[in-house]
Amino acid sequence: MPRTSLESSYVSLILVSHSYKVAYGIAELVEQVAGMYVPVFPVGGTRDGGLGTDSPRLLEILQRIAREPGGVVIADIGSSVLAVRAAVAELALTQRGSVIFADAPFVEGAIAAAVAASTGASLGEVVRAAEQTRHVTKL
Amino acid sequence: MSRNSDNASRTAMLPRGVALHARPAGMFVMEAHRFRSTIFVAANGRQANAKSILEVLSLGATAGTELCLTASGEDADEAVANLARLLDALG
Repeated sequence: MPRTSLESSYVSLILVSHSYKVAYGIAELVEQVAGMYVPVFPVGGTRDGGLGTDSPRLLEILQRIAREPGGVVIADIGSSVLAVRAAVAELALTQRGSVIFADAPFVEGAIAAAVAASTGASLGEVVRAAEQTRHVTKL
Repeated sequence: MSRNSDNASRTAMLPRGVALHARPAGMFVMEAHRFRSTIFVAANGRQANAKSILEVLSLGATAGTELCLTASGEDADEAVANLARLLDALG
């Protein structure tokens, strides 16, 4: 299971998908590559086990990580993106600086962000690592 | 004209049973991030930025693969030495 300790000096990663399996599967993969130090919070699926976003849980997590050293949110597609934007808008202005929504591919961005975070990188550096993966070709 | 940058290179073999995937790749990239130098790792005719996890994973380096580490910068020697040692220690 992903580590969710809040007593971390590492930037956190919040992975938001419609699907529980996608969110938790990527969290598992991220932990394989980047180790156990980076707090990873998967958010996927509705409370009754369907596809969708549990917005109250997402907001609760964002509020918990909205302090030093902060957290990077990566979402998969469509309404996950809208759900994250809505949740970020609910944060107090003082909290918004420590939660950054990265414009990054879900799998590649999550892995790159987690590896960067595990080196002790700053919030801005982790966001950059995630967003740089938009331009990485596969073949 | 004087130059401050140093270059260093070294080859290392991936130990038996160790591929540069998942955790080993993560550890390699994290170690690379400790250095200021620009570092590349080449294998199987491809070259990757040693600080990019996606590029390192895309090398597809399996056990027994010879990796060529090159670095340029003020801590180039230390960077390739440490990375080669890390790869050895994975075995």
